[in-house]
Amino acid sequence: MAKKIGFLVNSDRCIGCHACELACKNEYQQEPEIRWRKVYPLKEDSFGGFAREFASLACNHCEDPACLKACPVIAYTKREDGIVMHSKERCIGCKNCMLACPYKVPEFNQKTKKVEKCHMCAARQDRGEKPACVVGCPMEAITIINVNDTIAGAERSLPGFPNAAITNPTTRFIKPVVGRQVRRDA
Amino acid sequence: MAYNEDGYQITRHICPRNCYDTCGMLAYVRKGRLEKITGDPAHGYTKGKLCSKGQNYIQRVYSSDRIRFPLRQMGRGSGRWERITWEQAMEIICERILNLKDRYHSTLPFCLNKYSGNFGVLHSAVEGMFNSLGPTTQARGSPCWSAGLDAQLYDMGYNRNSDPGEMEKADIIILWGVNPAWTAIHSLPYIYRAQEKGATVIVIDPVYTQTARKADYFVQTKPGEDGALALALAKIIYESGNGDQNFIDHHTLGWPLFKDYLANLNLDYLAAQCGQELGRIQELAAIIGSTRAVFIWAGFGLQRHIHGGQTLRAIDALGAITGCIGMPGGGVHYAHQLTWGFNYNFLKDPGNRYLNINTFAHELNHLQEQSVKMLWVSCRNLLAQDTAGKMLRKELDKLELIVTVEQFLTETACYSDIVLPATTQFEEMDVVPSYWHHWIGLNEQAILPYFEAKSDLEIGQLLAKTLNTYRPGSSSFPIEKSPGSFLDEEFNEKLYALLGISHWSELAAGPRQAAVSTTAWSSKTFATPSGKFEFFSAKAQRENIPPLAQYHKGMSPQGKYPYWLITSHAQQGLNSQFQNITKLAKNKKPVVFIHPQTAAVKGVKTGQMVRVYNKLGVITLQAHVSPDTPSDILVCHQGWLPGSETRLNDLNDGLPTDMGRVSTGSQGVAFYDVFVDFDPV
Repeated sequence: MAKKIGFLVNSDRCIGCHACELACKNEYQQEPEIRWRKVYPLKEDSFGGFAREFASLACNHCEDPACLKACPVIAYTKREDGIVMHSKERCIGCKNCMLACPYKVPEFNQKTKKVEKCHMCAARQDRGEKPACVVGCPMEAITIINVNDTIAGAERSLPGFPNAAITNPTTRFIKPVVGRQVRRDA
Repeated sequence: MAYNEDGYQITRHICPRNCYDTCGMLAYVRKGRLEKITGDPAHGYTKGKLCSKGQNYIQRVYSSDRIRFPLRQMGRGSGRWERITWEQAMEIICERILNLKDRYHSTLPFCLNKYSGNFGVLHSAVEGMFNSLGPTTQARGSPCWSAGLDAQLYDMGYNRNSDPGEMEKADIIILWGVNPAWTAIHSLPYIYRAQEKGATVIVIDPVYTQTARKADYFVQTKPGEDGALALALAKIIYESGNGDQNFIDHHTLGWPLFKDYLANLNLDYLAAQCGQELGRIQELAAIIGSTRAVFIWAGFGLQRHIHGGQTLRAIDALGAITGCIGMPGGGVHYAHQLTWGFNYNFLKDPGNRYLNINTFAHELNHLQEQSVKMLWVSCRNLLAQDTAGKMLRKELDKLELIVTVEQFLTETACYSDIVLPATTQFEEMDVVPSYWHHWIGLNEQAILPYFEAKSDLEIGQLLAKTLNTYRPGSSSFPIEKSPGSFLDEEFNEKLYALLGISHWSELAAGPRQAAVSTTAWSSKTFATPSGKFEFFSAKAQRENIPPLAQYHKGMSPQGKYPYWLITSHAQQGLNSQFQNITKLAKNKKPVVFIHPQTAAVKGVKTGQMVRVYNKLGVITLQAHVSPDTPSDILVCHQGWLPGSETRLNDLNDGLPTDMGRVSTGSQGVAFYDVFVDFDPV
């Protein structure tokens, strides 16, 4: 089977520091309000804790990208390796993709009046480099995987992540595990 | 030297903040503008990674809030600012200096208050400039870590730690009163790898932190009572035969006395004091006692109590009894001074008068002779961070001139007469060591200073030059010397040998790790007078401190003020720095975390405003209900939000810690022995 790449997000390692978001912003010098990658706190009690678990999400480079289907000007293409690319040249800023994406990934740039999103650092990867978020994560919690490989512990969803059946995202997750607690008020 | 790649000029930097990690950074500059920042992969501890604050430096450098020109304020705190030239600023300052000298025939009316806003070696130029004037008044000490430093000096004779990478060799890692997931994130991957190799990670903390979340085992203690837990563990481990008798017999001093002391301790009492069931402590002792390499990382938080020094001595004693000190992957680690052996020419004391930085307002108020008339502030935001804030304002009101060197209009800058714009680490050259890892790196200049900003060093030189123009011989500060020549004089053969270089400029090729033992005290020869680990310290006795590590009952909430107020570090800030910049600040208003039961008793819900108060004052905070904090503790995170009137330390008495004088010249502050009550607004 051909190689299909995706992000593996290890929420057991993530500390919610947001360095991945900013490494991405640094690399592409995005406008202040634009973030291609975002760190979301998981819903309270998802894993028995209190906003101490996080998911770092960028574009999920879906197998059936809703953005691609919704785009009237073929600004979206899916590469052989699975990366969903967006062409700023073709984009007319109609925002259809923003409405279609279940993960609210595409963002509207008020300056260029066009949409933009994560391209998994396709150019960097083509040069043999890792994406900026992968390199920038101090916890080594984001990696690029071949989604056709079996990865121990990798799951397709986390609490709060929209139903993966809609667009078949390629992002995979390692769930957080909570240690033993001996509290004073227990 | 800077190098070029893809049209970028790339320079090396070290983040000079008061932080464990002291990261290596690369700055990418195109057409004179800083466009991109990444971690420096050549840095062996931070390994090319940065925290979000570091990733966000471009926003800080080019922030529209940054001070661009020297400013004069017409009426302190009035907000009526006027742009002035550097010449005008120097004229105002020099005329005041000379006027004061003529009136008082002394240089003691000049006072300096500087601390850790920038740990670059050349930032000591501020002290250098002051010392060139004659004997002045200077704030001395540290609000941060003093008690713990002294404790380790008494026990082991020097502040030494292992390379953080040693954690990977540990069987057990105890993160005690430290939250590296927020304050030393680059240490987490070492901890994770240790876990993957089978190590057990135990977090001991009054609050369930992000680090506790990553631990295998979280043990909650009462604030300030960690010493009770440490001694209970030491007693159980020794009396159950799990102590390391060989280490005790050969490498320690005062064991018979300490053994007797342990024998007389009551475990039920200690357990009650630290707030844990004895059964749980015995369980913990069994885990610790049955393993070899126990790596204890004792944080700064646990010594911010009145008996903070004793607490660390108790933890050191526990480390000694287990015999893990000096063992690869073992030991008690706090902070080190191994790579700080500069010449410190700037700090040559011309007979200064020193005031305790932690009781600065009080000391200004109680000066017996020659009151202070002029204050110079650099690398500090004392109005936001000091205790006794109201008294400080009163004392500042008595001064004739306040000069603050800053990047932003902080609370302190806003209470100054003259504000001078300071460069960031991208606009100046420096060398920066760390107190946690053993790497030292060069900070190159990447860009021209922002508008008219100058470095502390340049400002010192400009002031000296102007003063000498007015009145020759007023200052002996070298006015023509370049930053590089100052660095030439700061380094010495010993430091070069440690770094394996012959000149500091070689650091441009990448940060260097000092050739110190990766395992602290691996020789088991200590730097104490006896050469041994000292359970009994005659040096402590001479300082009127109990010679044995002892348990002293800490403070606890009672009566009118039934809650502790713990004011720990914020994730997206560092003391008062960063939160004015980062768009990531989680909360727009200062927040207080309250346990669900406690909140229910008061009828408070998340988002509601509450008044938190004690006899010193009232602050208003937004409630966030969270089981992360226990029912008798309110937790706030430090920080300075522009426009906010909330100063957490307005509720802080600033009680002194038991130790700190030996290492820093002043006792520390018991920042966490603060008690309050609260009500919904």
